[in-house]
Amino acid sequence: MMNFWAVSTEILILALMVAALAMDLILPKEGTRRGIAYVVISGLLATLVYTFGLYHTGPSMTFFGGLFIADNYALFFKQLFIVGMLFSVLFSMDYVEKYIESPGEFYTILMSALLGMCVMASANDLLTLFIGLELMTISFYVLVGQRMDDKDSGEASVKYLIVGAGSTAVMLYGISLVYGASGSLDFVVICRSLQMFFSIGLAGVVLVMIGFFFKLSVIPFHMWAPDVYQGAPTPITALLAMGSKAAGIAVFMRVLYTAFPLLGAYWLPVLAVFAAICMVGGNIMAIRQTDVKRMLAYSSIAQAGYMMCGIVSADIAGMKAVMFYAMLYVFANVGAFAVLTCVETMRGGTTHRHMTGLAQSAPILAAVMTISLLSMAGIPPTAGFSGKIYIFTAAVERGYLWLAFVGFVMSMISVYYYLLVAKAMYRDLTPEEEAENTAVKIPFAVRATVLLSVIATIGTGIYPELLASLTNLASQTFMR
Amino acid sequence: MKIMGDFGGLGIFFVVTLIFPITALIPAFLLQPRHPTKQKGIPYECGVDTIGKTYVQYRIGYFLYALIFLVFDIETVFLYPWAVRFGALGLFALLEMFLFLGILGLGLWYAWKKGALSWK
Repeated sequence: MMNFWAVSTEILILALMVAALAMDLILPKEGTRRGIAYVVISGLLATLVYTFGLYHTGPSMTFFGGLFIADNYALFFKQLFIVGMLFSVLFSMDYVEKYIESPGEFYTILMSALLGMCVMASANDLLTLFIGLELMTISFYVLVGQRMDDKDSGEASVKYLIVGAGSTAVMLYGISLVYGASGSLDFVVICRSLQMFFSIGLAGVVLVMIGFFFKLSVIPFHMWAPDVYQGAPTPITALLAMGSKAAGIAVFMRVLYTAFPLLGAYWLPVLAVFAAICMVGGNIMAIRQTDVKRMLAYSSIAQAGYMMCGIVSADIAGMKAVMFYAMLYVFANVGAFAVLTCVETMRGGTTHRHMTGLAQSAPILAAVMTISLLSMAGIPPTAGFSGKIYIFTAAVERGYLWLAFVGFVMSMISVYYYLLVAKAMYRDLTPEEEAENTAVKIPFAVRATVLLSVIATIGTGIYPELLASLTNLASQTFMR
Repeated sequence: MKIMGDFGGLGIFFVVTLIFPITALIPAFLLQPRHPTKQKGIPYECGVDTIGKTYVQYRIGYFLYALIFLVFDIETVFLYPWAVRFGALGLFALLEMFLFLGILGLGLWYAWKKGALSWK
């Protein structure tokens, strides 16, 4: 008998997905689909509470002959995905009602994307990884194209599909080479195989890494990201930036640390250089953007660079720093995208022009946006500051002083373009703009989301020990 | 190396499957008599002459039906081996099969409700 407790989180999410689909069929055809959102939100909340009970010491549960592992590390990332998904559903209810043609399907596919992310976080061999990855990305291909009224959305979906399929092919080829060299797909067996040091194994490792670089939109494999982020419905952009990226980071870190640790001498310098390129390129290209969504796409490229700095340190401290940073990036993203979604629902766009005068018409949204962006830039007392301190300390301790230096300089540069948004919101208005600046009605769900995200961002910044102890617990069962 | 040992046989199999059709097709191509007429050039459709253009758009309904057919296809593929070994698999497999059928049924219900089965 297989241990089904190991996959209990996934079973709950799958049940939620089926429930959303069934509700869509039962509810009257022309009626509102808001009820599905409430069911999904309460279901995710229950799942989140449930997952706290799964933290453990000692050996972790596995499923299907060790192909799937439910350790604390996977659990932490699952909680991260659930939190991100929970808030995205919460702040996007009005947006979905206004712009999405079939909300029932929208929520169903959201749940399947979440399921894919959770499988990825728990993957303990390359095949499970691949299945989780595909479940997530195929769901996202569909979700990105959900705006039927918007041509950009369809274009983004097709672009994402084509680039995604290409990168999947590259990764699959890499996986086949790794299998050829090591004779197994299991991470632990791959690690022990001496054959990996031959050219064929190394070629496989390179291709697998390139596949991950595509999914994480690392420069120079980033060309799809800005268009897809801009064209996708705003809540989906939020999930691409936090969920999809965090899932990629989670599984990338597991592959590097458990399957290829002995090859570290080969991939560490490569990763360090790509992290630097990401931080420099992402931040510089973000400066000239006037659409906030597109700006956040470039900024998310830079954020992937920061997280890769943590991976480069290749020890427990670095891993904890990456987990810490991924979680606070979710908080900041939730705040920023909740505001963007609200603004887009009210004013029909997300450029600087649409943000103008937000400080007068909706001061709470302007304040939350500013705090979230400052957290992404790493200004104290927000959480971003402590996150960057952890990451760069971990990198410096392993001798990557130059990398930390690049990170610090680029963080300072990033403040400029984050504050451009703040400037658009807070600057004095001309009389004509004043007349146009209609009041923004903020729904209760959005108000609750932005307040919670700000509390989490500031709270983690002032008192990081709470989240740090959780990452501590999460990393305990990782290194065997 | 390991790859050569384990997958060498498979590689030879691939090479043979590649060579076999080529050796069959190339002599035929070289030896065949060529007397093309207009009658021979038209597309073959069950022996009946083609009416109108062959580049036409097909109804999306055909594809929806094909997809729904696939649901039942998969169902058969999994049901058959399960039914054969039912005695050995026991209660657990019975429950699992009902879960599987339930998911497939949900899919069919979904297609039905969204109007994929009505021929418009």
